[in-house]
Amino acid sequence: MEDFVYFFTFQDSSIAFVVIGIILLGVGSAYVGTYSFLDKKALLGDAISHAVLPGICVGFILAGEKNPLFIVSGAFISGALATFLSSWLNKSTRLSEDAIIASILSIFFGFGIVLLTIIQKSGNPEMAGLNQFIFGNAIAILESDVYIYGGLAVFIILCLTVFQKEFSLLVFNPDYGRAIGFPMGMIRVTFNVLLILSVVIGIQAIGVVLMAALLITPGAAARFWTDRLGVLVILAGTFSAISGVLGTYISFVIPQMPTGPWVVVFLSIIALISFLFAPKKGVLSRYLSRRIYLRKTHRDHLLKLLYKGIEANKPGLPIAEIHEAFPFQKTQTKQSIGNLSKDKFITQNQLVIELSSTGRSEAKRIVRLHRLWELYLNEYMNIAPDHVHDTAEKLEHLLTPEMEELLESRLNFPKLDPHQENIPRD
Amino acid sequence: MITQVKNPILEIHDLTVSYDQSPVLWNVDLSLPSGKLIGILGPNGAGKSTLIKAIMGLVDPSGGYVKLFDKTLAEVRSRISYVPQRESVDWNFPASVLDVVMMGTYGKLGLFKRPGKKEKELSMESLEKVGMHGFANRQISELSGGQQQRVFIARSLAQNADLYLMDEPFAGVDMATETAIFELLKEMTAAGKTVIVVHHDIYSAVNYFDWFIMLNLHLVASGPKETAMTEELLSKTYGGKLNLLTKVSDLIRQKDFNPLKN
Repeated sequence: MEDFVYFFTFQDSSIAFVVIGIILLGVGSAYVGTYSFLDKKALLGDAISHAVLPGICVGFILAGEKNPLFIVSGAFISGALATFLSSWLNKSTRLSEDAIIASILSIFFGFGIVLLTIIQKSGNPEMAGLNQFIFGNAIAILESDVYIYGGLAVFIILCLTVFQKEFSLLVFNPDYGRAIGFPMGMIRVTFNVLLILSVVIGIQAIGVVLMAALLITPGAAARFWTDRLGVLVILAGTFSAISGVLGTYISFVIPQMPTGPWVVVFLSIIALISFLFAPKKGVLSRYLSRRIYLRKTHRDHLLKLLYKGIEANKPGLPIAEIHEAFPFQKTQTKQSIGNLSKDKFITQNQLVIELSSTGRSEAKRIVRLHRLWELYLNEYMNIAPDHVHDTAEKLEHLLTPEMEELLESRLNFPKLDPHQENIPRD
Repeated sequence: MITQVKNPILEIHDLTVSYDQSPVLWNVDLSLPSGKLIGILGPNGAGKSTLIKAIMGLVDPSGGYVKLFDKTLAEVRSRISYVPQRESVDWNFPASVLDVVMMGTYGKLGLFKRPGKKEKELSMESLEKVGMHGFANRQISELSGGQQQRVFIARSLAQNADLYLMDEPFAGVDMATETAIFELLKEMTAAGKTVIVVHHDIYSAVNYFDWFIMLNLHLVASGPKETAMTEELLSKTYGGKLNLLTKVSDLIRQKDFNPLKN
């Protein structure tokens, strides 16, 4: 608890610096990543983040120490090389894109690990901590490094904001962009540069292995909550910043604990919550709306049953008979009866159930839709009368009043359905 | 039957286009008058979309050239508007109808600048012309096929061009929308614009267009309705692929390089 208060009150200015840095880089990479997620190029980000490792090592060898400038430039160059190679191979060979990306990722990363091992064997005392580039350690970032990483993050955010319309065009409809004369090739290159930069700024804090998660997961999680690009980007940035700060906190409390994996853990929790609980697109919400729908169909079927009773000169049906009509659905049937009497669609007299006047016109409506649809299938689509019942059974719950009107006028207000049953109207 | 015109709005000279080095268009050579509603007809895989893309510079020809208003494409780009196929984009992209239509104003706006009030008004006017102004703030993922098509047409109207190239604007559109779009295109040509439309339905095409381009890997006909829309030319266009052309295409594909490339 003490740690918690100490960390989040920012008494230590170096912590405040690190937190600001991680928020900036989180927002920046989530911003770029959201576009590449929408562009269905999520794997490219993963390839780039693995591909920067050899560049980091070469930068280190050339500088002889952990000089951020050398390391950032090295990482950028090898990331750019990987990006260029993958798009060149895509254009000039018949290899599929996933094969190209998988090979580039493993070749560059493998080469990077070889270099890293060589450096570690060299006995250079400066090499301690180079391992941190694999999984990241936000707490170990020096104040001077924060300026570089944070500055680059601000640059990325500004670029994306200025070029918002160009990048949206790039993702949504690049052919149209070319048709109106925009230099789509240059815009693609600019975007790739920003993508590489966003990987580069994350290597120290998050590490090369998991940087892709910080690019893609925030956008993917945010997509569950909104359909608006502006909101999407802001949500993704927020998710990423929250996970970044929490991951840094863990690294602070437990020394030697890498930041990257913890950031990914928090991001995954956010993604999981979005996947389960987001309104409309979440699993729970979809499950609930299906249940509500199924309940309504059951209710409709019960009303229909009662109406058919009236047609057969039985104004009321005993409860036992209703239960018999819906075998294995006892609880549902009870629920429907409860709901319908609450809505005053039915009245219960001892053990006999009768339709009220409102219930009767609602039941008529459902039967009418069912029979209208049967007639439509039979007359307009030449489907035999004994084949029309099943789809009508499903569509009677879906057809809107406008569709009903259309059916009535198309079929010229018919009296009988294909089974010679009366089409009831009020 | 190829009718050439004087002072053409569009001139295509010996255009050959290949994909993966196998040619999909052979030596197309035609010229088109302005102010007409022009239909491009042909069977599946005849190269109709490719012809439009080649005119817009979206695919590189392996031979020949295109001239618009007697100039190159780059010189007159702002006078030309392109409507891509509806299926060519992902409609799940998070954008509103108005966002998409405003893309039509980007060409004149140029890079960096953001669309402002003027662009918004122009886009709303274009939406009104296709009867979609009530949908301006709707997400594009919620639109039906016909509505998506109308959004694309509104976007191209917002460009305020003189020549319109539309790739299958009637695909996946219900009858009422098709008639409405067609009326709009007729109004546009009456106002002096030229509209070139890739179309798949011969029966409705007869009533719609005043000039026809018939394609089947090569140009079968280009001319006014009376001369180009004949039974003989139709059967030539739709009567199966030309055997020899297809065989040559296969032969070229098997080469390790593109022998047609300049």
